[in-house]
Amino acid sequence: MLEDKLLIWKFNRGDREALRDIYEKYKDELVTLAAVLLRDISSAEDVVHDVFVSFIKTAAKFRLTGSLKGYLSTCVANNARNKNKARQRHEKTGLDETASVGSGTNSPDTTAMLGEELSRLNRALAKLPYEQREVLILHVYSGLKFKSIAGQQGVSINTVQGRYRYGLEKLRSLINGEVNKNEASK
Amino acid sequence: MRPANNINELIKKLHLKASSELDKRVHDDITKALAETQKTKSAQPAPNIWRIIMKSKITKLAAAAVIITAVLLSINVWDNSMPAAYAFEQTIQASHSIRYIHTKSFWASHKEPTESWIEFDVTGKVRNVRLHLPAWTEPDDGDKKIVWKDNKAYLWIKKKNIYAVMKDNIIAEMIFTMIEGLDPKTALQSLQMLKSEDKAELDIEQPKDKTSPIIVTAILKEEAKEEQPTTEVEREMKKLFNLFKGSEKDISKFVLFIDQATKLITTIEFYEQRQGRQQCICTIEYYDYNQPIAAEIFVLEDEISADALRIDQTTQDVGIAQGDLTNKEVAVELVRQFLEALIAKDYAKAGRLFSGTPAERMEKTYGKIRFIRIISIGEPEEPNTILKMPGAFYVPCTIEIEENGKIIQWHPEHSYVRQVHGQPGRWEIIGGFRGI
Repeated sequence: MLEDKLLIWKFNRGDREALRDIYEKYKDELVTLAAVLLRDISSAEDVVHDVFVSFIKTAAKFRLTGSLKGYLSTCVANNARNKNKARQRHEKTGLDETASVGSGTNSPDTTAMLGEELSRLNRALAKLPYEQREVLILHVYSGLKFKSIAGQQGVSINTVQGRYRYGLEKLRSLINGEVNKNEASK
Repeated sequence: MRPANNINELIKKLHLKASSELDKRVHDDITKALAETQKTKSAQPAPNIWRIIMKSKITKLAAAAVIITAVLLSINVWDNSMPAAYAFEQTIQASHSIRYIHTKSFWASHKEPTESWIEFDVTGKVRNVRLHLPAWTEPDDGDKKIVWKDNKAYLWIKKKNIYAVMKDNIIAEMIFTMIEGLDPKTALQSLQMLKSEDKAELDIEQPKDKTSPIIVTAILKEEAKEEQPTTEVEREMKKLFNLFKGSEKDISKFVLFIDQATKLITTIEFYEQRQGRQQCICTIEYYDYNQPIAAEIFVLEDEISADALRIDQTTQDVGIAQGDLTNKEVAVELVRQFLEALIAKDYAKAGRLFSGTPAERMEKTYGKIRFIRIISIGEPEEPNTILKMPGAFYVPCTIEIEENGKIIQWHPEHSYVRQVHGQPGRWEIIGGFRGI
């Protein structure tokens, strides 16, 4: 974490390279996070881009109180949530709940990028309600604490923990179901 | 494994790569945004910035910046009656209150700069130093991070997974020398002393635009270039400076940029004559003058791998005592004792001689080799390497060993020894034998 503090210390002073270093260090994780949330890589990259543009503007006044990864993950999650809401508003039919990262459930690109097992996980994640998916990915993948996620979502910790529990159970069930289905078809 | 049994572990494995398009968009925006920031800044008084030059070597840190000192001290000619309104005393006055500085040194022949953070106490003495030395400064070691505080040097060599703590008077002296070199007061005294000797041509340019820096250009005359460092540390730093800039030519010109508002040096450029023209070979930039540096910046402990080899030379006697032996004699004796310890599989002793390395690490490194006999130990030589530190030797030797069922003669290429930092009268093996 000290490395992050140094990066922020430089960043506060307008060090261009520090900003680039921060981006390079976290870009893949943030794109993955956004892609899982939005189930669309193009939108995910837009979100990460927007987060960094906003981040740049805070250069002089930004103060890191927790982890930099946590901060950026929260920004991405907030931005993705807004984007998701906007999308739902504009697309009456809503999002294809079977879509997944890589713009399609069975996208060969996604499978190639993630491998079969992770693609299966990804498809299952895509079938979770947005709130559950968000809690799961922020807690497990980005390492955010329930308290932090609760503050971000504007709900109680109990609600967040409930979403996590239900999300995990459903995910397990979905993955097992898919595996069983595949095995049965062999 | 049932696929859903370890969902959390699976989620952690998710990994997508950002596309090159995204990379380009973000980097372009960073460039654009910072250009805007620069425009805004240029309308304000320029920030106080300092630059240094810091370099180091295996044993730890060498502040090539110090060379600045040597260079500055060997320059001269400051004339207070010069037409420029700026007076050097203003810079001296401004520098009295320095508590924190951050520096980067850029080298013409290397992409990555060396970087340092320094904290001074209220009396102006160095309290804490942190150095980042890129891999090019010592390819064998890779990137190095060094913290110096409380008269101890903490060294983290990630590539080798080694964390070493040592008391190091040489480091202390180098830092002191470096700071002296950065102190405009010291420089002024030298300049005044040499003023009458006419050893450099000096030009001062003070733009009417107060946001532009005062530029002091000094072109050294031949007499000034002959000035040589006088102490061992200065000589070592001079060598480092030459290594980093990639030549042994004397500096022919340097340019100081001084902030008009603060009267502090923001940049120093060093030039040497190459192919008939002045070429900038090193630029030292001073940043964040008096911007407090968090205490944890001067602590490496959090960054060390859990399984790192930890060598603390401050809590044990390392190497052997020199006694009445000459430097070369003790160098040979040390290597002899080290090899004999390996032959006897006395890893505790071998480790003690080898910088205080723990016995288990020595056994792990050397346990699979059977050291049979010493064939020869040659005359110690001065190491022809950047690793060279004051008083260090390369000791050529040949050993018969058995490894993987084969008996061979082994000639270690980097069998270096030197005096133990912070332990006067003791000598240690510092590396090159194998694997550590």
